[in-house]
Amino acid sequence: MAEGYNPTILQGQQTSDDEILANTPLDAKALGGDSSEIIMELLQRFKVRDVMKRQVICIPRKATMRDAQKILRDNRISGVPVSENGRLYGLVSVNDIIKGLDGGWMEEPCEAHMAKNLVVLEGGMPLAFALRYFNNYTYGRFPVLDSDRKLVGIISQRDVMRALLYELSVEIRKLERKTSPKAAEAEQEAKENFYRKEWAVVHNDLSRAGHAANAIKGILRERKIDRSIVRRVAVAAYELEINICIHSHGGVLVLLIADNSVSITAKDRGPGIKDIEWACRDGTSTANDWIRSMGFGAGMGLSNSKRVSDKFEIESEVGKFTIVQCIFDLPKAESAGKEGGA
Amino acid sequence: MTIADVVRILDGKLMAGDGTSPRAVGAVVANDLMSDVLLYDADDILLLTSLASDQAIRTAHIVGAMGVVVHNAKPLSETMLTVASDLGIPLVSSPLSKYDACVRLHDAFLAEERA
Repeated sequence: MAEGYNPTILQGQQTSDDEILANTPLDAKALGGDSSEIIMELLQRFKVRDVMKRQVICIPRKATMRDAQKILRDNRISGVPVSENGRLYGLVSVNDIIKGLDGGWMEEPCEAHMAKNLVVLEGGMPLAFALRYFNNYTYGRFPVLDSDRKLVGIISQRDVMRALLYELSVEIRKLERKTSPKAAEAEQEAKENFYRKEWAVVHNDLSRAGHAANAIKGILRERKIDRSIVRRVAVAAYELEINICIHSHGGVLVLLIADNSVSITAKDRGPGIKDIEWACRDGTSTANDWIRSMGFGAGMGLSNSKRVSDKFEIESEVGKFTIVQCIFDLPKAESAGKEGGA
Repeated sequence: MTIADVVRILDGKLMAGDGTSPRAVGAVVANDLMSDVLLYDADDILLLTSLASDQAIRTAHIVGAMGVVVHNAKPLSETMLTVASDLGIPLVSSPLSKYDACVRLHDAFLAEERA
């Protein structure tokens, strides 16, 4: 792959499951009906924009097929839109890459070999439309455009399934709650005392790195959590976010504020850590010169995170994933529920 | 010593943020390695660095710094100025070297103590 080429990332705010619920008030009819009625109701109620992925990795027209291949491999995706300034030009899928490998045109610009006659969805379409498209066409994903024909997301069958399964489980919980007032009370209490938010972290996108940690600090300060704890959480979040950005193929950073603790969890999609003990030592790093020139790669990330945490756990499998969790104890008065809901 | 004093002492120019902030410098950290900066446990840090990138500002925000000085008059990108404004971190550009900047700040602290 040519040096100096970077994919562009469409940085939309991902709709969380809770936001989906808030925007799609439950029709009481659905609770009383049978399961197929509930599913039909959900398919009409949800819009494509509610469940699509908003953080879309895109490549420009001049990127080579080889570049596209690397993007697909590094991000474990099966298709990448070719887009510039929000305008969608085409899409390169695994099939196009296979044809490119066969035909020997991997070093040519992808605009010459991408799929150009695309089937697209609009954000405001009901989810039932998307499902029909998946049935009618063999594509694994559809780009989503807004009313100005600008690319705003991408939707796969998996996104649809995730939304439906989540919503169905909520419906079932609501039915259970109807029959058990005590359980309803307990659930309400738990909801008030929990706050969860996650951020996608993209490989090598240092311009965005730190964005999640800065947001986490803001959230904790709003909740009036003790300054020294906020600082420790922010340091761990920042180090772990940078680690995902510079060392992994990409992942997520998750903030969870519970009754008596705050936790930061960093999950990535590999390449994994061979020797965890070595990686947690001060001053050990596999960072390259470019990363060092950006002020990181001193080998302090994991050890700093461990140092500031009350509990630190790390799990990794080479070639697969790394999960790091930092837990911070909160005094009773700091509990999440005291400062307002999620 | 406020950020306005820092601008004056270092012959600097305020590039972003509030130059009239009353926050006083609690400690000066002169470092280009952001992981090192994250280790300092002090309030109201003034970060003196040659790292002219968004990450210097983001790191300053994480440690609750009261300001950032980029020395050697390194050119500052538009995004760095935007991030500084968004996060409310005063950003100063100084033509001095890191060493000279440290000496001047040290002298100014001593003068402040004597006064």
